[in-house]
Amino acid sequence: MATTISSVAPPWEAAARDFAAWRAGDQAALDRLVRAVTPVLWHLARSYGVDRDTADDVVQTTWLSLVRGADSVRDPQAVWRWVTVTARREAWRAARARQREASAPDEVLDVAGPPAPSPEPAVLATVEARALWRQVTRLDDRCRRLLRVIAFDDRPDYSSLSAELGMPVGSIGPTRGRCLDKLRAQLADDPEWSGR
Amino acid sequence: MNEDRALLDQLKGMWEATDPSPADLAERVLFTLQLEDLEVELMKLTDMPVLAGARGAEATTTITFNSPTLTVMLTVSGDRIDDDGQQLRRVDGWIAPAAALRVELRSASGSQRTTADADGRFSLDAVPGGLAQLRIEPTDGAAVALGRPVVTPAVQL
Repeated sequence: MATTISSVAPPWEAAARDFAAWRAGDQAALDRLVRAVTPVLWHLARSYGVDRDTADDVVQTTWLSLVRGADSVRDPQAVWRWVTVTARREAWRAARARQREASAPDEVLDVAGPPAPSPEPAVLATVEARALWRQVTRLDDRCRRLLRVIAFDDRPDYSSLSAELGMPVGSIGPTRGRCLDKLRAQLADDPEWSGR
Repeated sequence: MNEDRALLDQLKGMWEATDPSPADLAERVLFTLQLEDLEVELMKLTDMPVLAGARGAEATTTITFNSPTLTVMLTVSGDRIDDDGQQLRRVDGWIAPAAALRVELRSASGSQRTTADADGRFSLDAVPGGLAQLRIEPTDGAAVALGRPVVTPAVQL
């Protein structure tokens, strides 16, 4: 039956509906919108390597900007894109500002080598989950960032991603494929990974 | 593509488990969005100690916020319970650069106002526990002229 299939609406559709309802005067719709999309914005911000406090700030700033500038979002259908792009841009800026502060004048960062592997989080209860986590930490930063963005936002805006990841719009799709293939290959070689 | 989506969903689950969005983040956002005037400068949290679980009666917490114009340090202490069973905390604040600015502390049950002294210090000795937010207002005659109110993100006191 069509109704059961369409009941799993994409998150951007729910966001558009709630945003439109809120602008029409339904205060509870703003609550729904913020509660549903806040975790997504958090993960998008964290994709850029900012610390938890900064990610928190990014999410707050994004919502404040949306509500303050709600009139500039003419089409409710655009609200998902508006908040996700804003959060990513804010996080990207914060990450770059922090890099500039931290970077020594003579490119010390480049020769510092890969960071020591961090311990596996205790919340990963299964062998499988730990294998996935381990293999993700072995991916390069760009792959990890792109996959985290796409995991939480199926259809990210490619033009802003292009600037933030330093790659042409045309390479985002192929890079996404390559990163997923690379992760699959690593998982296939991990004795503790048994398929899905 | 479906295979990709399945792997991406596993990744999503992994990040949700290992690096969860703070449970009260949406709540804190909504608290700020209830401000009557949103034409404010939102400060950033620069230093917030991690309070794991239970908060002892002796707990003193220092929280620092900053913005391009101001830095505010809040020291939260005390853990009195009033006659209605409401937890009350004491907040000592320090605004830098020092300025006698008017401040408003918003909590779920209402607002309290005071004015910092010339050294930028202020205190409120009976602030309800729970979510709260400080709003610093442009004040005539203060050593720092604010273009618009400066607001901290909402934090748990």
